[in-house]
Amino acid sequence: MKKLQCVLVLLIALAFIAVPNAFSVDFSGKTIEWIIPFDVGGGSDVWARLYAPFLHKYLPGTPIVAIKNMPGGGSIIGGNHFASRAKPDGLTIFGSSGSTTFPYLLDNPRVKYDFAKYPIVFATPVGGMAYIRPEFGVKSVADLKGLKKQLAYASQGATSLDIVPLLAFDILGLNVKAVFGYKGRGPGRVAFEQGEVTIDYQTSPAYIKNVRPLVKQGQAVPLLSWGMIDKDGNMVRDPEEPDLPNLAEAYEIMYGKKPQGPAWNAWKAFFIAGFAVQKAVWLPENTPDEIVAAHSKAAEKTVADPEFQKVAAAELGGYTQLVGPAARKAFNQVLQVPKKDREWLINWLKTKYDVTIK
Amino acid sequence: MELFFNTLGVVLAPSHFIMLIAGVLMGLAIGILPGLGGITGMTILLPVIYGMDVHSAFALLIGMVAVIPTSDTFPSVMMGIPGSSASQATIMDGYPLAKKGEAARALGAAFTASLIGGLFGATVLSVIIPIARPIVLLFASPELFMLAFLGISFVGVLSGQKPIRGFLAAGIGLMLGALGDAPAVPEYRYTFGLDYLMDGVPLVIVGLGLFAVPEIIDLLIKGRSISKVATLGKGWLDGVKDALKHKFIILRCSTIGVIVGFLPGLGGSVVDWIAYGHIIQTTKDRENFGRGDIRGVIAPESANNAKEGGALIPTFLFGIPGSGSMAVFLGGLLILGIQPGPAMVTENVDLIYTAIWSLALANVFGAGLSILLAKPITRLTIIPFSYMAPFLVLIITFASYQASRSWGDLVALLIMGFLGWIMKQYGWPRPAALIGFVLSDSLETYLFISVQRYGFGWMARPGVIALAFIILISVGMGIFYQKRKPSGAHKKHEKNLS
Repeated sequence: MKKLQCVLVLLIALAFIAVPNAFSVDFSGKTIEWIIPFDVGGGSDVWARLYAPFLHKYLPGTPIVAIKNMPGGGSIIGGNHFASRAKPDGLTIFGSSGSTTFPYLLDNPRVKYDFAKYPIVFATPVGGMAYIRPEFGVKSVADLKGLKKQLAYASQGATSLDIVPLLAFDILGLNVKAVFGYKGRGPGRVAFEQGEVTIDYQTSPAYIKNVRPLVKQGQAVPLLSWGMIDKDGNMVRDPEEPDLPNLAEAYEIMYGKKPQGPAWNAWKAFFIAGFAVQKAVWLPENTPDEIVAAHSKAAEKTVADPEFQKVAAAELGGYTQLVGPAARKAFNQVLQVPKKDREWLINWLKTKYDVTIK
Repeated sequence: MELFFNTLGVVLAPSHFIMLIAGVLMGLAIGILPGLGGITGMTILLPVIYGMDVHSAFALLIGMVAVIPTSDTFPSVMMGIPGSSASQATIMDGYPLAKKGEAARALGAAFTASLIGGLFGATVLSVIIPIARPIVLLFASPELFMLAFLGISFVGVLSGQKPIRGFLAAGIGLMLGALGDAPAVPEYRYTFGLDYLMDGVPLVIVGLGLFAVPEIIDLLIKGRSISKVATLGKGWLDGVKDALKHKFIILRCSTIGVIVGFLPGLGGSVVDWIAYGHIIQTTKDRENFGRGDIRGVIAPESANNAKEGGALIPTFLFGIPGSGSMAVFLGGLLILGIQPGPAMVTENVDLIYTAIWSLALANVFGAGLSILLAKPITRLTIIPFSYMAPFLVLIITFASYQASRSWGDLVALLIMGFLGWIMKQYGWPRPAALIGFVLSDSLETYLFISVQRYGFGWMARPGVIALAFIILISVGMGIFYQKRKPSGAHKKHEKNLS
């Protein structure tokens, strides 16, 4: 009888341990270190600082959420540090951005992190809108078809987030010369106003604040938005500019059929990586399920918090933040890109821009 | 107009005022510690301002950034160690003055120049904001390249009678600046596979290595205190009088400072050299430059304070940082919910005025506090250097380490220090190397963009031709005044400037 009792107690105890239970996780008195592989004040840093107080509030035990900036190597150094040093105890999380994901997708040999192995907690989408100078007489995407003139685009580099606009312009059949060396989209916009470049895109918060006034003054003509991914993974229009066609619709307007083929597949994958799930938060490999659940729950509560929604609408463009399974589903579209489409892109970079990833 | 004075009332409200003073005190501390600068201060303050009301946050941030170019004069004058990257040129004449026992005079002149320069910058900011946009838009990549080239052209003047060495030193600086990631293509140069070098050598390490380390080594070798004279000579009041005597220099250099700050692309760390080079070029009796000419202190100090006012213009109007600390300040604006850009002049004009008042008041307080601190702090120059050296080594090591918080920083400091010491021993001009380093990225980026975009036609642009004339005149003036000196003074002058 005693032996049976012992076994029963043991089984009950095991049952408590084995069930993944978000409520058994407690971070009180601890500090969550959030690695941001970018400088203080940059876009990703601001994003993290907007989220941090809410995560602090909703994580069990209200731990301190401290942002650790580790810039360098275009965010690769911070990513590598996370990959090699972070322990799966829920006390370290990693914030990636498009510039962290792209080298990973392009098989950059310096990259030591692997998103396929990390649980994703939440992701923040951002949109992009392209616009052109008024002197070409182009009033909308439909007029682009006849445009033979060479346009100039201010680019940061052929392996940066600019892959998305450059490939988009290629798909649309535009004659665009990429001028490399600009330090970001801000200088790109100034160059557009100066007339140094003639076609540009901006991410949605910057577009709303800085380009809409230009459009009103007749100094810029909006063309298209890249679009957005809805919760089922379909390409839809960007909710911030619902009158602008997304890239697929723009192509259809110009050529009368839907886009398809390796260029389109590659573009879609890099668009999702660079915009639809541009910024994401990750936990280390092998993090126990209950810890992942605790973090996901905190993110869910953050997104549902009306105060956060106000801040997000003002700073992040009001897109629906993706949490837990929705984030994983969206990012899987990036991870599951067939190898041949990625290779198509690597080859495109080599033939068009003479770029090899070393 | 009434908004202008209303915001003064807002800034003077106790809660904002306390923030302003807090910022000023922090700026003083950061400036006095060698090697740290506006970027460090911004980085420390940014997490703090989250959730603050906008006017308080502005008062805090701008209070800090306005005062650093004032207080960074302390280490530059007293120890020959750059207090921040904008204060390197002050060393050339400020430090020799300290060696003569006239540290207080140098500081007094510097703070007066800083005060007037800073107020000038604030005034220009307030006047120019409505018309600044079209002016900034005139400067496209080709014009920005010519401006960087103008900066490089000062190398000749700063190298005395052996301009060849100056150009070679500048060349070394340019190559050092090219290390790391290329500005326009996804390539890395001479990184030898090291992650540390992927972003190039940090500026603060180059500055400290070239100037601070050789100084510490030499002082330890000579085994004395910084000041050759046991008692401190002229006091700070004389310095103030000196500055007021040369008010046209202050005015000219403040203008230079505002312009350099205002045009994104040159970077704040070259403004003091441009002012210093300009003052040498345009002066007939230049033998004393490099040996303790008070004008060599007044010129860079007024320029680097005025630059802060200028740098706020592109930051507010375009969201393009006018300098490194402005880049972090931009992040602060975003955290506070302000999107800089054309919208700012219409929607957030009150904030721009808050910034102007904060800038002006911070300069006044900063200069005042610095003058009060001048007398006690200058006593450090009498202490035998062997007592000071350990602290200084610790401080510059700490300042270097905060560049990227890795072992590479310390190794780089040693290597740059060694290079700096060799250059000092053999009379190779280090300012030239530093200017080359700082301008390397701008020169390459803008030239690359210009050629890509315009072919070789960029050289025919009116702005480019106008700037080319200015460069020719500036270099010509430098040579012309040079030739009028008797030959004995040449050798002395050239030795002073290494």
